[in-house]
This record gives sequence, structure tokens and C-alpha cells, in this order.
Amino acid sequence: MTSPPLAGDGTHAVYTGRTTSWTTVAATCVAGVLLVLMATSSGGDWSDLVIVLPLLLIAIGVLADVLTASSVRATAGPNGFTIRWGSVGWPRCSYPLDRIARAEVIDLPWWRVSWGFWWTPWRTSCTVRGGPTVRLTLSSGRIVTVTVPEPAAAVAALHAAGAARHDA
Amino acid sequence: MRWAIDHASRERLQDQIAGCVRGGVATGELEVGEQLPPAAELGAALSVDRNTVLAAYRQLRDDGVLEFRRGRGARVASGGPDLSAVTEAARSLIATARLHGLGRNEIIRIIKELT
Repeated sequence: MTSPPLAGDGTHAVYTGRTTSWTTVAATCVAGVLLVLMATSSGGDWSDLVIVLPLLLIAIGVLADVLTASSVRATAGPNGFTIRWGSVGWPRCSYPLDRIARAEVIDLPWWRVSWGFWWTPWRTSCTVRGGPTVRLTLSSGRIVTVTVPEPAAAVAALHAAGAARHDA
Repeated sequence: MRWAIDHASRERLQDQIAGCVRGGVATGELEVGEQLPPAAELGAALSVDRNTVLAAYRQLRDDGVLEFRRGRGARVASGGPDLSAVTEAARSLIATARLHGLGRNEIIRIIKELT
């Protein structure tokens, strides 16, 4: 495994943060329970394979979602900004510094929260709550909005890395 | 959590990473039970090898700062070493140094010479 080249004078100031998408976790659990109720109310027998197999699939789905949505990680620093969704780190979005035109902290109203990971031709949104949120504007015009525990620290790390890059 | 390491420093990178975690725990930026980033991800962000981060994490586990759980990564251990005595001693050191007109860099230089 090779390390990316050093930025600036060799000092790396990096911010890492982890958030949990409680809404995704809760929604999956509720949906899972509803599916189970529907399956059992349709008059199936527990010993029936037709009932057990879907139940197993639902259980796996809920488990997978709880595992993945409970950990949304972001790193910001000289190697750019990276978002990793879930314990396996997928989907993953990485934006090197030279592709980030602007980084700022915005106050996200709750009705603009995406409650998950969304990718559209113009926007990438990975927000799990309202309030202070990191907003990146890429040089391509794409707008990236990400929830991190301390948005100001993340943006400060990106600005410091950008300044060190220009000095070098 | 904020991390700052200096690739040009003579101090080992794993010690610098361990120092960041200790600092985070001491200042309360890292809470008990908080999960640290996976070694590969932190390594990529800091431009160090994954094994360097793992070495730092292992060093911290041996000192009782972190605990490893299978499949759940490295977490800040409960009831870790109490650093309040060290913080208190450092405060009095800084106060004494200020009395003698020494600045931040001089204090750091003295500590470096002694350790």
C-alpha cells in the first residue's frame, strides 16, 4: 500500500468525524416489522418455507442496514474530503483538494435534509440531520452537502490544507 | 476529532498519532466509548501507512487508552488512565516558565531535551 504524496511542508492537519443515520436505522426496523406482520397475517404457518425464507431475507436486510447506516464517516485534510457510508465504507465519495472550489458551513433546515446518501447529476447529499453542515462546491459545479459532527473543524482543515498547498 | 502530524518531525509517526488520541481523550474531544476511524481510512487521510496507524492503536490499547472489539474497531476505553495529575503538573510548569519569561517553544524545547 503506497501513501499519497505529501502536501505542503509535511504537516498534516486532518479532521475525522462519524455520524449515525438514526432515521435510516429506525425506518428499516419499522419496515421490517411491518413486513413480518404482513407475512404472518396472511395465514402462513411458521414451519412453512414460504414464510421462513422471506423472514430470513428481511432479517438480513434489517441487519445489513443497521450495520451500514450506523456509521457515516467523513475525513477532511490535505488529501481532500472523503465520505464513507457504513461499516464497509460504501458508497464512498472522495473529492481531492484541487477539485474543491469552495468549502463552507451552512445551516441546513430540516426540510432540506436528505436522510441518507443521494447522488444526482448536480448534487451529492449525505445528510442525516439539520443544523450546521459542510457544503462543498466543486470546480465542476457539483454541490456536496455532508453531515459531520463538527463542520467548522472539517472546513478549517480543508482551508488550512488549501492554504499550505498554495504556499508550497 | 482533529489530528495533526508532522512528517518532517523526528518523532515517530505512530507516536504522533498516539499523541493525538491521548490529547483528544485529555481534552474531552474523544468521549469514552467513541469509535476511532478505521486504520486504513485514517492512514489515507494522514498520508501514512495503515500499519503505522495500527501500531499507534495497539500502543494505546497496551496503555489502556483504547479497547479493541472484534468487528467494532478501536474504541476509547472506559476508566482509562487518569491524566488530570499530568495536566495539573503541566499547568504549574507553564506558570513557572511564564514567571521566568519563557515562551511556548522554550517550554517544548526543555521537555524535548528531558524526554
